[in-house]
Amino acid sequence: MSAVALLAAGCGSGGSEPEATTEAKTGGEITVRGCNPENPLVPSNTTETCGGNVIDAVFSKLVHYNAETAKPEMEIAESIETTDNQNFTVKLKSGWKFHDGTDIKAKNFVDAWNYAAYGPNAQSSGYFMEPIEGFGDTQCAGTANPDDPCEGFTPKSETLSGLAVVDDTTFTIKTTEKVANLPVRLGYSAFAPLPDAFFADPAAFGDKPIGSGPYKLDSWTKEQSIELSKFADYAGDFGGKVDKISFKIYQDADSAYNDVLANNLDITDEIPASALIDDKYKTDLPDRNAQKETGVIQTVTVAPVKVDPDLADPKLRQAISMAIDRETIIKQIFNNTRVPATGWVSPVVDGYKADVCGEYCVYDAAKAKALYDEAGGFKGDKITLSYNADAAHKEWTEATCNSIKQALGVECVATGVVDFATFRTEIGERKMKGLFRTGWQMDYPSIENFLAPIFATGSSSNDGDYSNPAFDKLLTEAAAETDAAASNAKYQEAEALLTQDMPSIPMWYGKTTMGWSDKVTGVKITAFGTIDFSSVSVK
Amino acid sequence: MGTYIIRRLLQMIPVILGATFLIFTMVFALPGDPLAGKCGERPCPPAYAAEFRERYNLNDPLPVQYAKYVANLAQGDLGETSNGIPVLDQLKARYPVTAKLALMAIAFEAIIGIFVGVLTGIRKGGFLDNLVLISTLVVISIPVFVIGGVSQYFVGVKLGWFPVTVTSANPSFYELMLPAMVLGSLSLAYVSRLMRTSLVENLRADYLRTAVAKGLTRRRAVGLHALRNSMIPVITFIGFDFGALLGGAIVTEAIFNIPGIGGYLFRSIRARDGASVVGTVTVLVIVYLFVNLLVDLLYGLLDPRISHD
Repeated sequence: MSAVALLAAGCGSGGSEPEATTEAKTGGEITVRGCNPENPLVPSNTTETCGGNVIDAVFSKLVHYNAETAKPEMEIAESIETTDNQNFTVKLKSGWKFHDGTDIKAKNFVDAWNYAAYGPNAQSSGYFMEPIEGFGDTQCAGTANPDDPCEGFTPKSETLSGLAVVDDTTFTIKTTEKVANLPVRLGYSAFAPLPDAFFADPAAFGDKPIGSGPYKLDSWTKEQSIELSKFADYAGDFGGKVDKISFKIYQDADSAYNDVLANNLDITDEIPASALIDDKYKTDLPDRNAQKETGVIQTVTVAPVKVDPDLADPKLRQAISMAIDRETIIKQIFNNTRVPATGWVSPVVDGYKADVCGEYCVYDAAKAKALYDEAGGFKGDKITLSYNADAAHKEWTEATCNSIKQALGVECVATGVVDFATFRTEIGERKMKGLFRTGWQMDYPSIENFLAPIFATGSSSNDGDYSNPAFDKLLTEAAAETDAAASNAKYQEAEALLTQDMPSIPMWYGKTTMGWSDKVTGVKITAFGTIDFSSVSVK
Repeated sequence: MGTYIIRRLLQMIPVILGATFLIFTMVFALPGDPLAGKCGERPCPPAYAAEFRERYNLNDPLPVQYAKYVANLAQGDLGETSNGIPVLDQLKARYPVTAKLALMAIAFEAIIGIFVGVLTGIRKGGFLDNLVLISTLVVISIPVFVIGGVSQYFVGVKLGWFPVTVTSANPSFYELMLPAMVLGSLSLAYVSRLMRTSLVENLRADYLRTAVAKGLTRRRAVGLHALRNSMIPVITFIGFDFGALLGGAIVTEAIFNIPGIGGYLFRSIRARDGASVVGTVTVLVIVYLFVNLLVDLLYGLLDPRISHD
């Protein structure tokens, strides 16, 4: 049948006819596993996935990330132009409307971004506005209370000086420094436009957001369900096929999975551990499952040299990395739901280069031992690998330690810290010694997002206090390149420096597995590990 | 009797205050903080964190926090969860579900448990007695998540006799049937064993022999005298169990996705959500106290020798 279709298409004689039969139906309703949003549904205040999944469907941004490749494609933006990577002109498509019927204008972006950036508004993703000129003036710097920089302090400015509205469909962005990948970043939800109704009553908006995306939010029954329906006036290219999406909130991955088996739930984006064993989900849901790599990397970070000088020697770090049998750990503990890392950048982003870490990320006990001896061995009494004990990290950290122990003959202990908050606090206060686990989920699909926030000197997530002037210089140069390929090449050069210094040890890249009922078709996983709602349809 | 009830009701006040304070202190003493996970995998920005702490009085010392809480509580305000939902609304939506589930489980365990217990008690040592003895042993030794998971998979997913999970906020009788049976199965085993032992003991008692000697039929003697006396430990157990079930069957509610108190309490403890935990527990303590009072009053009805005056 498909061969005939191909032939027909090849001859150019009415090739559209067989295609029409395979064309997915539109309409219908689907149910999707959801979880409880942690914050009111405001794009600049949602950084976790439970709320993020809803925000993604309800809000459109200037650019949209391609579901397959994660490449940015224009959504509300007609064009984003720059000649120097510092002054950007954004032109909007016309005819776009918010769910309340008002037009989407340039000022809706500028207002939303100003609101996000302004310190006293306390938006959790306000820091995404940091590259924009004038960000510093909108921040709190009070000293009255060490925990609250906004106490007794009013920032100099309520607005970002780098943003200017030219006319209804044009605005300009000026950044403090050169930022080559700014257009890529603009697809992140923090950059979504907000209608005027938001500023009238932000609290009410958080309960029932008025967005610009292909779906509008009908109702949110707290801790129960979130109902979305198709927005008739959606003007973009990424609209969905189904009429209604309802997120059903589950506490437990197993019960959602069982509901999919019984066709009570259409899609679950989380397969429970019990069904991953021996790929049980593949027999449970034949042809109704998918697995895809996502922009997540797990690393083991080495404590800053001034906190723990015992692990300062890069050779020692390389030896440790080489002593970790990633393949076996992934097979035995993760049921092959991870991919061994060969560098610090996820394969899903533009600019990824394979094998940057080279032999140091490939298990070789003999070579590891030789390098370890060459480095003079470990001076401390034992290596500790810390993890937060409130999530499933115990097994793999212990396996990693065992692998190191066996290959190098050095004592290694996996140490649990009671929970994530305590764990992060100890890291933040630079009290954590030895090795500790770190994970990174990309904010936007760019090689830069895996390097600058984590390894640039003094950057926000630089837990290992890595500082290398050559690395920083390459990042600055890369950000100034106007040619994407040249920019990526610079970033790759910077990444290669990490191999020499090993501020962190790459472990593996994440994968997302989904399963769906026999009522739906066309389920695709995005590079962010979310459901691509534009492709799902009811059979 | 009347003064007894009033005295018991007055005793509840210090118990409730003490219990809430203890819970409050314990939640406060737990390591970790409610900001964890609010901003995904990374720490929240300082401005966000500061506003959050301010809003939930997290900067105050414990006694001040508790005083503020009790002051609100006295006005019927149970506070807000850390994701901004009034606790009272949550409890209002969830308690009826849990109560319905608990009542169904109790009915299941009481009716079948007492029936089986009486049957095996009268025919001690017979085939049925041994069968029940072994089968209850099996049930008691299997953890509830195994019973729940297995029955959900086979009866729900494979056979399709019952809904796999609860999908509505206001679940129907049918939706709750399987979870109620799972929940009641463990206590069913206890009830039947308790009933049997208690009955066997009473059947050997002097008063029963006297009753039979005075000419009462054995059926009447057992039904009227032995059974009533044997019910006391069973009622105590069922009363306790009802309180426990209202506290939320955490595991069962999670397996069947029941929007009840159990899952809510569990999640709130994990999220260090003080207001929700204390609010839920306060209501729970009150329920426990009332059930206890009810059980005590029932004793008097079952055995006139137990007097409350």
